Amino acid sequence: MREIFDPIKRILLYILLTAATILMSFPLFWMISSSLKTLEETNSAGIIWLPKAPTLDAYIGVFQNSDFLRSYFNTVFYTSLALAGTLLSIAIVAYAFSRIKWPGRNLVFFIMLATMMIPPQALIVPQYVFFNKLNWIGTFNPIIIPGYFAGGAAMVFLLRQAMSQIPKELDESAFVDGANHFQIFWEVVLPLVKAPLATVATFLFVGMWNNLLSPLMYLQTVDLYTLPVYVSTLYNINLTVQQWPTIMTAAVLTTVPLIIVFFFAQRFILDGVVVSGLKG
Amino acid sequence: MVENPYLDAILTAIAAIIFIIISCFAVGWLARYIAKLTGASRKEQENTFAGYLFASPWIVGFLIFVIVPLGFSLYWSFTDYRVISSEPANWVGLENYAQLIINDDGFRASIINTLFLTAIGLPLQMGVALLLAVLLNQKLQGVRVFRMAFYLPVILGFNTAVLLSWRLMLNTGTGIINQIIRSVTQAVPPIGYVVRGGIFFQELTSAFFLGLSSGSFNLMTRVWEAGFPAANRVPLWVESPMWTKMSVILLMIWGAGAMMLIFLAGLKNIPKELHEAAEVDGASSWKRFWKVTFPLLTPYIFYNLIVGLIAALQIFEPIYVLYRDNQPLVPSAQSMVYYLWQASFSHFEIGYGSAISWIILIIILIITSIQFRVQDRWVTYELY
Repeated sequence: MREIFDPIKRILLYILLTAATILMSFPLFWMISSSLKTLEETNSAGIIWLPKAPTLDAYIGVFQNSDFLRSYFNTVFYTSLALAGTLLSIAIVAYAFSRIKWPGRNLVFFIMLATMMIPPQALIVPQYVFFNKLNWIGTFNPIIIPGYFAGGAAMVFLLRQAMSQIPKELDESAFVDGANHFQIFWEVVLPLVKAPLATVATFLFVGMWNNLLSPLMYLQTVDLYTLPVYVSTLYNINLTVQQWPTIMTAAVLTTVPLIIVFFFAQRFILDGVVVSGLKG
Repeated sequence: MVENPYLDAILTAIAAIIFIIISCFAVGWLARYIAKLTGASRKEQENTFAGYLFASPWIVGFLIFVIVPLGFSLYWSFTDYRVISSEPANWVGLENYAQLIINDDGFRASIINTLFLTAIGLPLQMGVALLLAVLLNQKLQGVRVFRMAFYLPVILGFNTAVLLSWRLMLNTGTGIINQIIRSVTQAVPPIGYVVRGGIFFQELTSAFFLGLSSGSFNLMTRVWEAGFPAANRVPLWVESPMWTKMSVILLMIWGAGAMMLIFLAGLKNIPKELHEAAEVDGASSWKRFWKVTFPLLTPYIFYNLIVGLIAALQIFEPIYVLYRDNQPLVPSAQSMVYYLWQASFSHFEIGYGSAISWIILIIILIITSIQFRVQDRWVTYELY
């Protein structure tokens, strides 16, 4: 019975999985397909799966749009500057919570975990006033600098779990050799947590690249807009006809870096770094 | 201030790093001094210094970006402070809170909308995540590829670009989703009845919740009187107030991959012997799922529930991208955070906005702590 049943079950499973994959990736497919269509085709009453004569007009238009190109550069600039500082400070703090024994460590760690309950949005109003006092409205500072203070308790937690698993003897022997905490952090611990570090870096990158609310509040002028803010202005409810091919082209170009990063980082993310952190 | 925004950002970043280093050493020295006073050994003093030095970026940031803002916003929530006016803030007592709770229809609607998204969207999201995880937990070749495909939406997340792709797909007349629904229902009439039944049920439910937030149930009566939807009816995704929240829920379900990954880990942790023993005892696979797998998964379900609750109660981006400026639809779709953003930053009424933030904070804390309270009724930990 089993021998007859199994291949059928197997085929059924594959059909289900393929159907789910098609559904899950459909928005992406539709984005690419629509970016190659003409305006008439995106508004056509019949289904056009793929444009009959793919046109790159929208791409040419977008590449000549200086606002779009500037917002692309802004996003790359802000993300790299913010990512470097955030990642380093998170690693330093995770080191303090995993490799050093100090009085008050458990209490501070508990408070840090408790802050994950506070929605960041509950803080946007007072933070706005604070950044206004610093004259930071209309600059990149409010979306870069807060991360330098180890922004992201969940990421600190993830990295701490990974660092806790390194055997204590390693740094003890380094201590005997006369190394200090900075050297142990940089030369012993960091090289051993490369995979979790890559995971955290990916999550941070994705969060920054997708971030809409704070850039929207703080950047104010089109010169400083990041991609999510700029792309959202392309869709304007007051227009009778939306320029869908242009919007979808901008969307494709916005998502490409995300897909590339995910492609390289997926084995770190999916193979249980996140999940093994959970268990501790 | 430097004219060039990029140079300005780099210089400020350097200044911030210098500030962090100085304050870290200050905290470290202070901690060592206190340790010395309490008579700790030399090694303990060194560890105290190093520990506080390394943890200080977070400690200092926590004080600057969380504690101080929370304190100020608590104070401002009792005042009429406005950031653009030069007048000092006046103490108004509980007026902001009273206004919000009693008079502000928009805020009440935003709470009901958010609870709707959470109560209906989150179970659907978790159900789909569990289903995908069960499908992926089979011994099949190519599972890695499927897993990647299911997780990709999490990475794309609520990026504006992806949300606009959904906006295009959800167009009522020419959107691909409705076009597929139309052609399928025309080809296979029985499916048409199912779809129309779904539309009827969905519109009644949404109209009921809209009635809750507006106080009048006219819309629901009208839907009921209109009766069973006609054959050519399709969902009015981003066009009718009765569908706006459904579109957001669709997006939530699409991003179920993060929860799926957690469930998958849970399924992999279940000892094989348990299943084999149940099979020997003659339990059907359906029964095995509910009696063996499900109880062992409850800790993972609980984790997903908490993370999902916090995320759903803070939803903002889909509402901003899909419905911003679309006045007839905004009241039916706005979430608490969207309302906070709009109320605070359209008139820069900091006092009123602070009161909204505090109510949102309290709602989230109450809902999550209820979950923690009732967890021992259904979460099984002892088998691990």
